[in-house]
Amino acid sequence: MTLFVHAVEQGLIYGLMALGVYVSFRVLAFPDLSVDGTFPLGAAVAAALIIGGWDPFLASLVALGAGAVAGAFTGILATKFRIQGLLAGVLTMIMLYSLNLRIMGRPNLPLLGRPSALTVTVQALHLTPPWGLVLVAAILALGVKFLLDLFFHTELGTAMRATGDNPEMVRAFGVNPETMVILGLALSNGLVALAGALVAQYSGFADVGMGVGTIVAGLASVIVGEMLFRPRTVIWATVAALVGSCLYRGAILVALRYGGALGFTASDLKLLTALVVLGALMAPAIRARLKGEEA
Amino acid sequence: MILELSGISKTFTLGAERIEALRGVDLSLAEGEFVTVIGSNGAGKSTLLNIIAGTCRPTRGRVKIAGRDVTRWPAHSRARWIGRVFQDPLKGTAAHMTLAENLALALRKGPRGLGPVLSHAKRKRLEKALAHLDMGLEGRLRERVAHLSGGERQAVTVLMATLARPKLLLLDEHTAALDPANADKVLEVTERLVEESRITTLMVTHRMDQALRTGSRLIMMHKGRVHLDLGQKEKRNLTVDNLVSLFRRVGVTDDELLLEAVRGRSSA
Repeated sequence: MTLFVHAVEQGLIYGLMALGVYVSFRVLAFPDLSVDGTFPLGAAVAAALIIGGWDPFLASLVALGAGAVAGAFTGILATKFRIQGLLAGVLTMIMLYSLNLRIMGRPNLPLLGRPSALTVTVQALHLTPPWGLVLVAAILALGVKFLLDLFFHTELGTAMRATGDNPEMVRAFGVNPETMVILGLALSNGLVALAGALVAQYSGFADVGMGVGTIVAGLASVIVGEMLFRPRTVIWATVAALVGSCLYRGAILVALRYGGALGFTASDLKLLTALVVLGALMAPAIRARLKGEEA
Repeated sequence: MILELSGISKTFTLGAERIEALRGVDLSLAEGEFVTVIGSNGAGKSTLLNIIAGTCRPTRGRVKIAGRDVTRWPAHSRARWIGRVFQDPLKGTAAHMTLAENLALALRKGPRGLGPVLSHAKRKRLEKALAHLDMGLEGRLRERVAHLSGGERQAVTVLMATLARPKLLLLDEHTAALDPANADKVLEVTERLVEESRITTLMVTHRMDQALRTGSRLIMMHKGRVHLDLGQKEKRNLTVDNLVSLFRRVGVTDDELLLEAVRGRSSA
């Protein structure tokens, strides 16, 4: 039972990151690796500000802004300077590694005993464990999902979706596709950094290494959700990302708890995650081969 | 004048090779003109459209649209005056979005705000526009464009290109990738939409019969120059054979051009 509660709670908080990866990877069709840097950036900014006495809500908002700026930076590299998308993301990620260390002043910042935006809300609403935190996380994740759905049905959001589909067509209707990519990556990385800020407050520390594999975890969530829901609209795609995120966190908690019996340790986690993503990505090709569609 | 090209030259450099795609083209289109463009392979027809649309900058010369010098404007900025349809039906629409969303994007040119992309009124308007195509697409607004056939997609692209009433419509061999029945249907839709909206149109085609039958003026290009510029009256008395001999006179011996002429004649 506690495992289930934790999976949903973590799944929803990390779900903001999965939504961010959905925006870059699926909406813009941009394989953005900056998220491995913007997730800990959000954590670092929020942790440093909270330790400096800032209100945790304000600190989380500033973290979101910092992530958006970093995402826009990747977008500018990829569009205005025509650097390959993958490389642009990697460059931002590496720069952020140093920057995150500077923001934190050391590799790890503990937040024990500091106010957390999540627990403050739980207390303010007079909620009780174990479901209080789940409820707050659900309100937050569904709220962000709802705003995202709304945005992608505005003129601007529709133009952004069309950019991932057919940038030339977007240009023909007087919209600069480069602007759409920059805005979209800002949105995506803003969400990822917000997730990082909340995860730091949830787990009680920010660590410079906590971003490693963010893109893989985000992709795993998006792909697992897609396999379940086969979404054809934005509304279902965002549901899929959130549910996928919960399943992914659940799988990790199970692996951590029972994996030891099979000889796995926590350090094998990244390998297992990557294998899950690999399996999901290979599935269509394998299925086609089994059906004999490909020689 | 809706469009004024003066002294347009374009030289591409491919390694050590220099290709002169356009060599001093002067061309003016008055409001409401429907100009068809024919030419041998490599005559510079597509480059000309690219330079007008702004996806390619001329090496020399100036481009004016509706009296404004737009030579240095990026493509998306001049897009507010230009509608364009490419040869490839996949190029004009976003496959994974619905028909309604695609058309809604085309209702307006220029930067977007945060208003809803589709309202009830817009849906009604789009349904009406689709019904006017007479292809039975009006009931399929919620379907993804990927489900449409090539002909349907290209007709929708033509509709999208004219929906926001641009000043200039550029058609780049937009029926060439379709089978004959669909090509005729799309051409018919094009002529109807252009006539009703009175948009000044420049249509590149490889079919001489199409170039003769359609529009109010015909231009023939060869090796980066305009070699022939015929008005309505001169055009009316011309046959495909006349055109072929005119091509021969400017020195076109290109086998492929003759092949196109024969094909054009047989389907005329």
